[in-house]
Amino acid sequence: MHYHRKPRWIIPEREVTPESVFLNRRAILAGMAGIGLSSALPRLASAASGFSPEPQMNPAFADAGRPVTDEAINTTYNNFYEFSMSKSVYREVDALETDPWTVKIDGMVDTPMEIGMEDLLKRMPLEERIVRHRCVEAWSMVVPWIGFPLSELVGMAGPGSDAKYVRMETFKNPEIAPGQRQTWYPWPYVEGLTIEEAMNPLAFMVVGAYGKDLPKTMGAPLRLHLPWKFGFKSVKSVVRISFTDEQPQSFWQDLQSSEYGFWANVNPEVPHPRWSQAQERVLGTGDQVPTQLFNGYGEEVAGLYANMDQSARTLWY
Amino acid sequence: MDTPWTDRAGRFSWIRSIAFAGALAPALWIGWRALNADLGPRPLEEVIHFTGLWTIRFLLITLAITPLRRLGLPRLVIARRMLGLTAMFYVLAHLAIYAVDTGSLARTVSEIVQRWYLVVGFVALAGLVALGVTSTDSAIRRLGRNWQRLHRAVYLIAVLGLLHFFMQSKLDVTEPVLMAGLFVLMMAARGAQARGLSLASPLVWAGIGVVSGLATAGLEAGWYAVATNAPASAVLAANLQFDYSIRPAWYVLATGVALALWAGARRLRQGLLSPAG
Repeated sequence: MHYHRKPRWIIPEREVTPESVFLNRRAILAGMAGIGLSSALPRLASAASGFSPEPQMNPAFADAGRPVTDEAINTTYNNFYEFSMSKSVYREVDALETDPWTVKIDGMVDTPMEIGMEDLLKRMPLEERIVRHRCVEAWSMVVPWIGFPLSELVGMAGPGSDAKYVRMETFKNPEIAPGQRQTWYPWPYVEGLTIEEAMNPLAFMVVGAYGKDLPKTMGAPLRLHLPWKFGFKSVKSVVRISFTDEQPQSFWQDLQSSEYGFWANVNPEVPHPRWSQAQERVLGTGDQVPTQLFNGYGEEVAGLYANMDQSARTLWY
Repeated sequence: MDTPWTDRAGRFSWIRSIAFAGALAPALWIGWRALNADLGPRPLEEVIHFTGLWTIRFLLITLAITPLRRLGLPRLVIARRMLGLTAMFYVLAHLAIYAVDTGSLARTVSEIVQRWYLVVGFVALAGLVALGVTSTDSAIRRLGRNWQRLHRAVYLIAVLGLLHFFMQSKLDVTEPVLMAGLFVLMMAARGAQARGLSLASPLVWAGIGVVSGLATAGLEAGWYAVATNAPASAVLAANLQFDYSIRPAWYVLATGVALALWAGARRLRQGLLSPAG
């Protein structure tokens, strides 16, 4: 089955010269120029297979109860408004420069820092996990992510006891991201969650998918994934992670708080103002299946909300 | 026998043939893409949006015929009924595929009655069907003067259809704004004519274009102000910033200007052809 047609001259990603080879050449040139090789070497070691050491499957997430969604679908059907309102945004994202990439960690932390992706990857324990992803638009996928638990990053940052929320921000660069030239949207994209949610083992920082580096269209090089919440909570291409005592105001809340709230926990009983959330279309299968409370991850996360008013609509949209 | 490519006298008609081909073209296009599995991972959703959009487009094309008749194209009217029926067929497909996507008739009904945008859309659909079934020659004869009264409902149906289009949009209403702007342009032309202004005049069309363009910009900013928290002033200001997009107001203005030029060209030609004096 073909989902999109490429001109014949577009070579598949896998045939592109591996970055390691490319960088190797540069490193040798740099060496000849008398500049130290040391800065280039670690990347050479890690880039060959994508990640080093090879991330192992987390056995707790080895089976999502449904087949993994075809990679060709997952990489060609995305919301990434920074580049386009179209789901075929993969055609537009090439201009995103993901290497080098620096993440700023600030706010109520012991030591604010700016950390390069490479350093971050070295300090975080990478693993693979297969999880369900439920979009607020009533469709879902199953994705094999590579990444690390957000709790590890929180641990590294060391937030003070007064910090209650984690706020994450996407890059802002209208030069390369045409969607950000739309002046009445509150760029950059912002999302947030509570520290307790961030410490839950399900909260995951993603750096790869399908055994490879994360494709740009899926939010390279670093994105959040919260499988029990609607997809828009899972902010892409993160450049800043802040710890704060104020509930972050997210992009969608800012634009349409009547339709998209802070909690956005998946609940089949609570419809979106304009459509039912009772069912979901499982992409790639043609199946329509009942949506599960917390997207089926209630055992892991329901406790987070046990003390909150369960009838409050705000908990669910 | 009446065919879509002949006139009442049974002669081949270019106007009807082109209209018929145009009516079929979107359906063939989406059918072709479906056969080639080129509709993405949610093909039904794609077809629902496509048929809805073309319903609005055919409705607007139908409504464009009356103003265009004043621009030297009086014979276009022989394709009007066909184009109106085309809008009806597309909206029936729109509903049918929605029902298939929703999974059951019971769920389809419960969805429609629970959501305002679907109620609005369904009323518009019912209206189109009412106009469709009363479009036959015998119905026109039977209804007499009431036929005209009934068929004026098309303006209300268009408003409801456009409202449905706006309400179902996720945040971005560029396309509904454009369609609404073109509707405003055609209603402004009717309004001008009702006030005794001639649609043969280029100046009148230029005025209609400017008024409708401004109304379109206002409509866009107004929608964002009412339906979202986006700053309406920024939406208005975007009409003068071109690095993101050309806003729909300009397309509506351009349509008015194009019709003004057309009217002007006709005037010039008539001036040249008429005896000097």
